[in-house]
Amino acid sequence: MASPDSKSSPLLDPEMVARLTSQPLVARFPMVGSVSGQHKSPHRGSSVEFAEYREYVPGDDLRRLDWRVFARSDRFYIKEFEADTNLRCHLVVDCSASMNFVGEHANRLEYAKRLAAALAYITIQQGDAAGINCVGGAKSIDLPARRNPAHFQLILDSLEAAKPKGETKLPSVLHELAEKVRRRALVIVISDFFCDIDELLSCFQHLRFQKHDLAVFQLLDPVELDFQFDRPVRFNDLESSFSLVTEPAMIREQYLTELHKFLNRLREGCHEFGADYRRVTLDQPLEKTLSDFLLERARTTAVSPV
Amino acid sequence: MTFLQPSILWALPLILLPVIIHLLNRLRHRPRAWAAMQFLLAANRSSTSHARLRQWLILLFRTLAVLALILFVARPLSGGWLGWALSPAPDAIVILLDRSPSMEADSATGDGTKREQALKLLAGAARQFEDSSHLILIENALREPQQIAGADALGRLSTTGPSDAAADIPAMLQTAFQWLVDNQAGASEIWIASDLQASNWRPEDDRWASMIAQLDALPQPVRVRLLAFNENGSANAMVSLSELTRRTKGSAAELDLAFDIRRDDSSSETVPVTVSVDGKTSQVETLLEGQSVRWRQRVDAPSDSTGGWGSVSLPDDGNGSDNTAYFVYGSDTAFAATVVSSDDRNARFLRFAASTRDKEGFVPAKLASPNEAASAVWESDSLLVWQAPLPKGDVADRVRTFVEEGGVAVFFPTADDDAVQFQGMGWGALDAADGEDVFGISIWEENEGPLANTDEGLRLPVDEFAAIQRRRIKGGSAVLAAFEDETPFLTRRSLGRGRIYFCGSLPTPEWSSLGDGFVLVPILRRALAEGGRRLNRDSILACGELNAVDRTKPWTLVDSDQPKDILSQAGVYRHGDRLVAVNRPESENEPTVMEADTATGLFGELPVRLWEETGQREDRLQGEIWRLILCAMLVFLMIEAVLILPATETSELAKEAART
Repeated sequence: MASPDSKSSPLLDPEMVARLTSQPLVARFPMVGSVSGQHKSPHRGSSVEFAEYREYVPGDDLRRLDWRVFARSDRFYIKEFEADTNLRCHLVVDCSASMNFVGEHANRLEYAKRLAAALAYITIQQGDAAGINCVGGAKSIDLPARRNPAHFQLILDSLEAAKPKGETKLPSVLHELAEKVRRRALVIVISDFFCDIDELLSCFQHLRFQKHDLAVFQLLDPVELDFQFDRPVRFNDLESSFSLVTEPAMIREQYLTELHKFLNRLREGCHEFGADYRRVTLDQPLEKTLSDFLLERARTTAVSPV
Repeated sequence: MTFLQPSILWALPLILLPVIIHLLNRLRHRPRAWAAMQFLLAANRSSTSHARLRQWLILLFRTLAVLALILFVARPLSGGWLGWALSPAPDAIVILLDRSPSMEADSATGDGTKREQALKLLAGAARQFEDSSHLILIENALREPQQIAGADALGRLSTTGPSDAAADIPAMLQTAFQWLVDNQAGASEIWIASDLQASNWRPEDDRWASMIAQLDALPQPVRVRLLAFNENGSANAMVSLSELTRRTKGSAAELDLAFDIRRDDSSSETVPVTVSVDGKTSQVETLLEGQSVRWRQRVDAPSDSTGGWGSVSLPDDGNGSDNTAYFVYGSDTAFAATVVSSDDRNARFLRFAASTRDKEGFVPAKLASPNEAASAVWESDSLLVWQAPLPKGDVADRVRTFVEEGGVAVFFPTADDDAVQFQGMGWGALDAADGEDVFGISIWEENEGPLANTDEGLRLPVDEFAAIQRRRIKGGSAVLAAFEDETPFLTRRSLGRGRIYFCGSLPTPEWSSLGDGFVLVPILRRALAEGGRRLNRDSILACGELNAVDRTKPWTLVDSDQPKDILSQAGVYRHGDRLVAVNRPESENEPTVMEADTATGLFGELPVRLWEETGQREDRLQGEIWRLILCAMLVFLMIEAVLILPATETSELAKEAART
């Protein structure tokens, strides 16, 4: 299979992706692709994978009749095989201002971009189609999913050009995407998800309703999870001009309670709607994040055989 | 609540320190770009009331801890149940022990002397405080505060044994006050053990009022317990030296001794009096009648010796410490007098009346005119006769010093009016008798003084005296003789250790019959003898009177083999060629004893109670409560520590939240 065309980019570590390509990115649900591929399709096809027997109905292709069964049972049965198809992967990267958070280890948006680039590379490298959608940001970017290896360079360029700006508009974009992508696809959302949880979960529900396979990467900094400060801090909101001076030790307990509540809700919502939820702390190496993701997907079977 | 160190309370504004630090801490916040603002806002909203309350509590307890620290350093005192519960024992007990000779009298209960019984009672009472309180002993002889290790040590100390020094209770209280101030003692008690002898307590002394005010003004409470022994046990007699003269009679010398013997008992009895001169002892059976007897005795003295010593002792009685009087004698006492006069005729009478005797015979007194008085030397004399305008300025100061050191000055009037006053005394108007009338003297002091009866009990012929002119005497003084119209003729006033006499007439015939000598000569001769005592004032001392220079010298005891201390015990001591007789002070012979109520009344507002009154709870001493304050501070700090501890569930939450 052809490798995606790419010039050297700060977003992509060639050695890392080379190590990761041994493990393909698989869909958990049947996909509807345009060409034959390595992913299950909801349709019967001509792959070597036996699917089922069904009684002959007039008009069926006589070549697919199972003569051995006819000989034994004197009945006409058609032997069906599963169809293999290709995968279309839509990467949604949140480029709102809150993604510009700089922790001790990394910038959240940088991490998100590198994660998206690696996933796009893996997808295109295994012959599937990848598209990118940068939500918010200085410039709206929406690239449709294509299998063309040259398309990867476009994706990389778009990611490099993406700048954080504005409030999170993730829910509206996800609704739009659910409607726009007609055929079943893999939708990978990379964000901090600091927005209204109910709206977000309704997006997930919408995407799943459209039979898309949904994977969710939530990027959080260890500082946000620990909330350990030894002196008063003026917290400046990244998405607005609001600021708050407080003694972190004083409100730490409540902060963690609220955060915990939100994270639990998000995880439970994802489980409910069959989304593949992954929380990533920014101190975690990208390679580990990706290998965990890929391996676990390969292990799991489809939740619903739709 | 009162404080031992109230100045520390100026540090009270420091309690705002935690608040200021808190505000400063808030000011030095760091900016931080933050994405998860929604949780921060929610947390800030929900935590506001609880966290703010906790923060206020932390601040409150920090403030309280600082407050407690300041209070602790300021050493607070509290009375009532608080003080009682926290500090039942006084911080210091200052024991003022009167061990003057009068305390050696047998106690009324009959078991030992008053001093011994006082020590027993004091030790018994101090025993319950010896672990918790400082025990300080101040006794009358040395008046040095002395810390004692325990109640039992009280009876063993040499400084609690008998002494011959008089007690000066106001001075002892002053020493106690000074100790309390110097050592910044907490709540204190002053225990006084005394026989309430008025001469020791000096109730008229000005020092009392200031002393009580000072004690009352102390920040720490001071209470007085009085152990009074004002009831006498068995009958007592005491002896003291009155006069001592050495005379040479041809080749022999004799000592003319006069002793005063005072007794409680007025019945007649024969008492063996032991006289010891230079170690040779003889006993004289003496008949004593009445309570106060002057006993005269002539004893032979070695004629060749330049000096010696002796003692007179009464048999043992109710008080063993006042039965002996010590004396030392030098060579013949050389009296000398100076007459200051502007009038030759009067001066002649006065000089001869005040003449002294040496080996050659009689020598008239020295004469100086008033103009020469400034340069005349009379400091080594015993008598100064002044028949001139009263001295002024420097001369008056010299006369005053002379008298204060023990000399005697006799003033006679002048013909001219004199407005000058000397020590508040002066001359008044001149009276002249009308026609054939004369001023006679009807009443005079026959028991003592210059006109006293002779040793043989014979009266002086004062009633034969007649004056034609007299000058009135102004100023307050004791009248020793008065004219028939009660105008004073002879008055006396004490000044320091000496005395001043004013005589209202002159020896010349146009004034009076003083020139006949039968009144003038006894007056001046006795004044001469009285003033002569100043000449041996360095050798016969009252106990405790030794001057600072002599105190440092090494004195050896002469009269006994028992070890004695010159500062606190009577006896005869030698340093080089100098012999000194130390007797108990004359004030110790005063029999007046105060009532216990009078003594407690001297303490004014100060809480004072007699020994017999057991402790009443309501007037319990204020005690130091620093322990409580310290505990409170620790509690505040611990509560503060608990409040600032991060809640344990928080860390669980954090762990869980971090879990992917």
